[in-house]
Amino acid sequence: MASDGSNPQGRVLSGVHFMLGNYATAEGALAGGCDFFAGYPITPANEISERMSHRLPEVGGTFIQGEDELFSIYAVTGASLAGAKAMTATASAGFNHFQEGIGYAVAVEAPCVIVDVQRCRGENFATQADVMQMRWGTDGDYEIIVLAPSSIQELFDYTARAFNLAEEYRTPVIVMSETTISLMRERLDVPSADEIAVVNRRYTDLSPGEYKPFAAPEYGVPDFAPLGKGYNTIYSINPHDEEGSIDWDPDVYERMYDRLTGKIAKHRDVICQPRSYAVDDADIVLIAYGSEVRPALDAVEMAREDGIAAGLLKLDAVWPVPEEQIAAAMSKAKAVIAVEMNIGKYANEIERISAGRVPVHRCTKNRGIIHSPEEIYRSIKEVWK
Amino acid sequence: MKPLKIRFCGFGGQGIILSAITLGTALVTKKGYYAVQTQSYGSEARGGQCQAELIVADEEIKSPSSDEKDILVAMSQSALDRYIGDLKKGGILIIDSALVTEIPDVDAEIIQVPATETAVALGNRIAANMVLLGFVQQATGIISKDDLLSAVEDLVKPQFMDLNTRAIEAGIELAADVSLEVTV
Amino acid sequence: MSLKLYPRRESVRKDGLPHFFCPGCGCGQVLNFFLRACDELGMKTEDMTCIGGVGCAARIPIYLSTDALHGIHGRTMPWATGIKMTRPDMPVVVFAGDGDALSIGGNHFIHAARRNVDVTVIVVNNLNFAMTGGQVAPTTPLTATTMTTPYGSSEPPFDLCKMAETSGATYVSRWTTAHGIQAIRAIKTAMQHTGFSVVEIISQCPTHYGRYALGSGSPEKSVEWIKEQSIPRTRAEKMDPEETALNFVIGEFVNTQRPVFWGSTIYDGAEE
Ligand SMILES: Cc1ncc(C[n+]2csc(CCOP(=O)(O)OP(=O)(O)O)c2C)c(N)n1
Repeated sequence: MASDGSNPQGRVLSGVHFMLGNYATAEGALAGGCDFFAGYPITPANEISERMSHRLPEVGGTFIQGEDELFSIYAVTGASLAGAKAMTATASAGFNHFQEGIGYAVAVEAPCVIVDVQRCRGENFATQADVMQMRWGTDGDYEIIVLAPSSIQELFDYTARAFNLAEEYRTPVIVMSETTISLMRERLDVPSADEIAVVNRRYTDLSPGEYKPFAAPEYGVPDFAPLGKGYNTIYSINPHDEEGSIDWDPDVYERMYDRLTGKIAKHRDVICQPRSYAVDDADIVLIAYGSEVRPALDAVEMAREDGIAAGLLKLDAVWPVPEEQIAAAMSKAKAVIAVEMNIGKYANEIERISAGRVPVHRCTKNRGIIHSPEEIYRSIKEVWK
Repeated sequence: MKPLKIRFCGFGGQGIILSAITLGTALVTKKGYYAVQTQSYGSEARGGQCQAELIVADEEIKSPSSDEKDILVAMSQSALDRYIGDLKKGGILIIDSALVTEIPDVDAEIIQVPATETAVALGNRIAANMVLLGFVQQATGIISKDDLLSAVEDLVKPQFMDLNTRAIEAGIELAADVSLEVTV
Repeated sequence: MSLKLYPRRESVRKDGLPHFFCPGCGCGQVLNFFLRACDELGMKTEDMTCIGGVGCAARIPIYLSTDALHGIHGRTMPWATGIKMTRPDMPVVVFAGDGDALSIGGNHFIHAARRNVDVTVIVVNNLNFAMTGGQVAPTTPLTATTMTTPYGSSEPPFDLCKMAETSGATYVSRWTTAHGIQAIRAIKTAMQHTGFSVVEIISQCPTHYGRYALGSGSPEKSVEWIKEQSIPRTRAEKMDPEETALNFVIGEFVNTQRPVFWGSTIYDGAEE
C-alpha cells in the first residue's frame, strides 16, 4: 500500500509467483508502501533497481539512478524527511558508501530501508561477511535494525516489514540479502493488499508553537512534522536538543543518545521474532540466520533421524541481538553451533550471551557458497562425539 | 515426498536458464508446487559454460543446493563432462544428440534427443531448448502440455510464441514412445 | 535608495542568535541578501526547506525560521533532489561553501545541474576551507598562500560558474559581497527560476583567507580586494582571457529553460 494508505492498482501483485529474489525484494518494498527509490548499479543487486525503475512509475512513485551510492543514501534520507517511504539497495562495495548516510539517518531519525546484497569483494559469490558492518559501520553511537531473510518469501515479507519497523522506530532498517537468495528463483505467495499491514508516517497534532521535533513520548519515538509548514525543524547530525537546536550540552547529548539507542534496544523483544525448530529437547542447538538457515534445518533433520537431539534457532532480526531468546534457546543445551557463511563473526555475539555457560562451536564456510546440509551435519556429529 | 532435482547445462545463449525458469514457473504457478531455481554466477560462469538447477517438491524446500541430481539435461559436450558426476546412480540423462557425441559410461538411463536438428528444421536452432522441454514434459508427465505452454506464454515475448509452441510440440512428438519414472 | 536593516527579522530563529560567524564574515551578508530577496518576492522562509552541508556558509540555514537539513559535508544536492522529488510544491534552497559544493560535493553538483533539478543553490565562495581553519580549496587562486599551501597554491582553481554552465545549470550568475544590490537581484531571479539555478557569491573570510592569503585580517581590506578583482562579464568578454585569469568575472552567465527533472516518474517538460 502507498504511504498515504491508498492502494493504487497493481502495487501488490497478489498471487503465486516463481520469482527472482531481487524482484521479490522490490515487490516487498512496494507492498510495504515504498514510493521513492534511488540506486546505483552493482551486481548482484541490479535487478532490484531494474524492477523499481519499471514498477515505481506504474504506481506513482519516483525512481532515480544517481551518480553514486552517496547520492542514493542522501536522496533517500531527503525524500524520507519530505514524507516519502524510501529505499535504496546495493551490494557490499556500495554499502561502504552508505555508511556515512546511515549515520545521518540514525541521528535525525529518518525512516528508510536499505538493502545490502552481500557479495565476496568484487565477485558475486555468496557470503554473510557484512554482518558486523551492518551494525557497526557508521560513526557514533547507535542501534539499528537488521533483518536477515532466508528465502524469496522472506525477502518479500521482511522488506515489507522493514518499512513498518522504519516508521515505528524512526530509523533506517537494513535488509541483509545475499547472493544466494537474491539471484535465486523460488515460489512466492503474495497476499492480497488488505492482508498486508502497513504502518504510515505519524505526524504531530500539535501546532508549530507547541511542537518539539525531538521530544518523544515514553517509548522513545518522536512524531514528525511536515516540511515547509512553519514547524522550522533543523534536521542536523550535530547533537541537538528536543527543540532541534544544535548547541553543545553534555547532558543533552547523553539524553539524546540514551533515547536514540534505547528506542530500539528496549523493544528488542518486539523487533526480533526468532523461530525455534526442535529446540525444546535439543542437546545441540544450532543458531543461524539468512540463507544458512536452510541447510541448517536439513542438518537438524538428518541428526534427528540418526538419534541426535539437535535443534535450530532461526534469527529473523540479527540486530538488535535477540539476547533473551538466544539465552533461552541455549539454556538447556549441552552445546551451541553458530552457523555462518563468513570467517565467524556473529558467533562472537552468541559467545557473549553464553558467557561461558554453554560451549559455542563454529560452523563457518567462507568459500563463496552456502553450506550443504551434509557439511553442517558433519559439524553436529563432531560436537556430539 | 523427496524433492526432484533437475539440472540443465550447456553453453551461454542456448536458453539453459530459461528452460529451468520455464519449468519452474509451470510447476509453481500452474500446479502449486514449491520450486527453487539457481544458476552459476560470477567468474564461475566464465568460459561460456552455463548451468541451471531446479528443485521441485510438494513442500517448502530447505537447502537450495543439492549434490545428486535425478535428471541431467545436457546441451554441450563440455558441460556434460563437467556435470555428469553429479547425476545420481540410476538417474536420467537427456542429451542433445547433435551436440553431445561422446556418451559417458555411467549408470543412468540415457536418452538422445535430436533437439537441435529438430529446431533447425523448424527454422531456428535457438528453439532447441524448447524441444527438450517438450520432450521432458511428455516423457516424465510432471506437468501438462497446456501448463507448460501457458508458462512459456508468461515468460517469452509474444513474437516468439509461435516458434516456441511448435518446438515444444515437436519435442512432445519425439517423446511419444518414451516414459520415464519421475515423481514429485 | 535606503536599505532597511533585517526586513524579515522574524525570519531569523529566536534561539538562533548570537550566530557563530566571525566579525566581518561574508556569511552574515549573504544571509541578509537572501532574506531581502525573499522579502521583495513576498516569500516566507517557513514555506521552504533550506539545506546547508557542513562549513561556515552551511550554517546559514540554521539561523533561519525554516525547515533545515544540516551537518553532512558535501551531500546537499542528493538531499535537495530527494526532497524536491517528494515535495515538488515546496521551494528548496541550498547554501554551500565552495568546498562543500565543489570539493567533496563536486560530483553531486555537476549531476544535479545536468538533471536540472528545480532547486536554488547559493554558493558562498570564500576561496578557502574556512571552518576547518583556512586550508586550500578547489577555488583558491593559483599561488595563494593558505594553511596547507604555505609555499603558494600550485593548483589552478575551478571556475564554478563555467562548471555549472557546462554541466547544464539553467540559471547561473556570480556576484560578490561588495555587490549587495546585484546579489539580491540575482537571488530573486534564481528563486523565481524553474530549474537548477546557481548564484555564486565571492565572499570575504578575513579570519583565514584575509590573514594568510591577503596579509590582513581586516574585513574592509578583504572586501576592497574582492571589489578590485571584480570585472563585469561584458567587459571581460572583450578582454584576453589570460588577462582576466585572476579576476572575478561578475554578472549573469546563463538564464535559459529546459525540461526539469522529476525522477523517472514524470520526465516531461510540460509538467510544471
Ligand atoms: C566528511 C567530512 N570531511 C571533512 C569535514 C571537515 N570539514 C568541515 S567544514 C569543511 C570545509 C569547509 O569549507 P567550505 O565548504 O568552503 O565552507 P566554509 O567553511 O569555507 O564556508 C571541512 C572539510 C567534515 N565535516 N566532514
